[in-house]
Amino acid sequence: VKIVAVTACATGIAHTYMAAEQLQKTARALGHEIKIETQGSMGIENELSPQDIREADVALFAVDISVEQSERFRGKRIVQVPVHEAIKNPKAVFEKLRS
Amino acid sequence: MQSYEIAFECPLPLGLHARPASLVSETAARFAATTILIKEPDGSSADAKSVLALIALEVRRGDRCVLRIAGEDAAAAHAALRALVLKTLPQADAPLPPPPAAMQVPRALRIPGVTWRAGTPASPGIGQGIVVLLGGPVLPAHIPGPAISRSEEERRARGGLAAVRAALAARLQARPDALEAGILAAQLAMARDTALESRILARVESGSSAAQAVADTGTYFAARFRAAESALVRERAVDIEDVCAQMLEAIQGSPLAAAAPAALPAAAIVVAGTLAPRQLLALDRQHLCGLVLEHAGTTSHAVILARSFGIPTLTGVADARACVRAGGEAIVDADAGLLICNLVPEARRHYDRRRWALARRHERLTQSAQRPAVTRDGRPLEVAASVSTREEIGVAFAHGADGIGLFRTEMLFMDRDSPPSEDEQAAIYAEAARLAAGRTVIIRTLDVGGDKPLSYLGLPPEKNPFLGIRGVRLYPAHRDLVAAQLRAILRASSAGRVWMLLPMVSHLEEVRWVKEQIGAAQRELQAAGVAFAAEMPLGVMLEVPAAALLVDQLSDEVGFFSIGTNDLAQYLFAADRGDDRLAGVSDVRHPAFLRLLVRVVRDVHARGRWVGLCGEMARSRRDLPLLLGLGLDEISAAAPEIPAIKAAVAGHSAAACAALLAQATACKSAAEVEALQAAFHPAGPARALVDPELVVLESDSATKEEVIAEIANGFFAAERCDDPQAVEEAVWAREAVYATGLGHGFAVPHCRTDAVTADSIGVVRLAQPIPWQSLDEEPVRCVILLAIRASDAEEVHLRILALLARRLMHAEFRERLLGAPDREAVLQCLHAELGLVDAPS
Repeated sequence: VKIVAVTACATGIAHTYMAAEQLQKTARALGHEIKIETQGSMGIENELSPQDIREADVALFAVDISVEQSERFRGKRIVQVPVHEAIKNPKAVFEKLRS
Repeated sequence: MQSYEIAFECPLPLGLHARPASLVSETAARFAATTILIKEPDGSSADAKSVLALIALEVRRGDRCVLRIAGEDAAAAHAALRALVLKTLPQADAPLPPPPAAMQVPRALRIPGVTWRAGTPASPGIGQGIVVLLGGPVLPAHIPGPAISRSEEERRARGGLAAVRAALAARLQARPDALEAGILAAQLAMARDTALESRILARVESGSSAAQAVADTGTYFAARFRAAESALVRERAVDIEDVCAQMLEAIQGSPLAAAAPAALPAAAIVVAGTLAPRQLLALDRQHLCGLVLEHAGTTSHAVILARSFGIPTLTGVADARACVRAGGEAIVDADAGLLICNLVPEARRHYDRRRWALARRHERLTQSAQRPAVTRDGRPLEVAASVSTREEIGVAFAHGADGIGLFRTEMLFMDRDSPPSEDEQAAIYAEAARLAAGRTVIIRTLDVGGDKPLSYLGLPPEKNPFLGIRGVRLYPAHRDLVAAQLRAILRASSAGRVWMLLPMVSHLEEVRWVKEQIGAAQRELQAAGVAFAAEMPLGVMLEVPAAALLVDQLSDEVGFFSIGTNDLAQYLFAADRGDDRLAGVSDVRHPAFLRLLVRVVRDVHARGRWVGLCGEMARSRRDLPLLLGLGLDEISAAAPEIPAIKAAVAGHSAAACAALLAQATACKSAAEVEALQAAFHPAGPARALVDPELVVLESDSATKEEVIAEIANGFFAAERCDDPQAVEEAVWAREAVYATGLGHGFAVPHCRTDAVTADSIGVVRLAQPIPWQSLDEEPVRCVILLAIRASDAEEVHLRILALLARRLMHAEFRERLLGAPDREAVLQCLHAELGLVDAPS
């Protein structure tokens, strides 16, 4: 599956990046293709392009706050989970993307 | 015979307590007429000539009362009492005491088993030791020995009353200071009280011995007072007990059982209701680690002594004696205003760490204070010491003073029968100059007046001493005194860098007059062949607004200026700074005052002169940015403040401070300025994100609260925050969203807060895993706390933290952190994985 993801937590210091790392690691193990944008203390990094989003099968938001520039994902199937779900149980999060 | 009645409602918020009651009784006692106060709600009554009876009546605010006056001079008594009750009494009450300072129990100690009491900090510091309970004056319940005969016991009772009255009057005659005089006068009024006397004599009449009658009477009134609702009345209980104890000693001819213990344990916390100064002096100060008083204000004599001895002290701790156990351990945290009544392991650990952090920080500050203070953008500020005695001078330089910014010479002239001789003064000033070893000593000439009278000057009392003959205004009438001091300072100028400062200048002519006297003194010294510096700088204090507006003209006469903020603000706003009701009227943060300062510094520097600042404002960390913004050459504060001030200077940027000051002068009130200040959180000096001091390898913290406090405390010790509790609270606010346990035994509590002066990482490995509501519900073995500045976090630090967060998702990294054998290895692991380039500081 081809996935675009956004991670964002309340302070933007730790969990945004932990979640990104965890999702990256798990996607590799499961054989998914994933690109993850972080919206943290340094602003938006590894920004998803319109093409990335267009080509993806699904968008995953692992966020505790609202996603910036969410209009980019209009019309896309979006699955949203709390940040800590992505850290604690990434495999279950990917399960959700299938259904 | 005429009789009169005065009906009124008690207007006093605290009821008819000791002071207003004594006004009533003193007035009533001037007349022969009998005067009875009747409290209408319950019909009880009291002899209005007896302050004790009036207090015991417990008249509360709003109670309807009647004063009934009868006798030959009843008309005059009625007129006097009517004026008193209707006009004076409503204004007789002192303002309510201020509420205790904001206090927060550390989170780590908000656990079952810890009991604590809040109090008012009266002398800072933390003391830990064995509790020793001290009683005030103790009146025995039963005194052995029957009454000899009614007439003999009455003779003894009257003798005891007379003896105590005479003793108190004699102590008042001996001219004690105002505070002690007030206490003695109150006790004397009680000893002379008619209700006290008649109750004692009535007990004797009914068969008691004189001693028993006195003890019973004291206990009776004390119990009545203690049951009162008003705290002011309750506090008088100790006084009546003390008066009766003295009476008992006079009757028995021997002192009562000593109120002070023979010896204190090696580390003692003394807990008492109140303490007389002589009781405090009787204690072994080597062993006294803390003092807790239930009553007594922060200005009572015992408290003033405790402060001068540096003993951590709390006052106003209600029921302190009831909540500690004699022989048990307790902690006095006079920084936070807390008495920790029992020492559970958590409390012991908390305060061991707190003391360690205070000592470590002090050591760091004292070391760095030996260097000049320079802002981050390179602007220097001399930080000098204000002193009153020669003993303080050595202390000042040990604390890193860049000079003596103000040597007040008044102390040399006080508490003696004649002024110090020229030689005596010259020796002291010269010693100060030598101790300064090349640094400047600014000696202020005598600054006395009606507010600080010297008995041998014979100054007449003034209606308003602060607007009277003070400072330099006094000099022409005391030429010899002035000449001796001028010669002494001149002589000292040959021993080092001595500058002379004139107090209370408001006119140019005053400076010219003193310069003539200096010229005369120089000629006398020259004639006598005594050495002095030819070019000793002369300066004036800027404390009268008139002088502040004459800086350009004064600059033609003198070489430097020193702004005295306390008096300058008082005179600018025309508000007595000693009067609580005017608090806030005279405010150094008011834009009007700041504008005057801006003008003064600009005018001084336009003439190429030097300007320093002393007074309360100089010691305020919050006001420091304003002072830096002014571009002063120097500030002068008490020696112990200097290391912290110098460290704070290093954290500021002069440019940012100047911008803040410009905003402040445009504000419309002091409150607006304070709001600006509250939002001004400068970063400290640039620091590495992590250093070895912030790594703990085997912590004995047992709870999440303790670990967070431990790391915040470490930041405080390393000068990365000034208020560790504020860091803790920021972490807890984040923790409330959801717990930061990652699983795998790791937790990463974090916050964005300007309570830290530098972005910081603290690492703590725990000896025993602790619960943390982790994602996998496993206890935590390693805690990494990330604290980032809210307003100006370093981009490079944010990057490192993001990388750290990512790395923590990998088991190999976690295992390396857990397995690192020492602090250096922990740091190396972080450095290697995160590509940290900045070396540990």
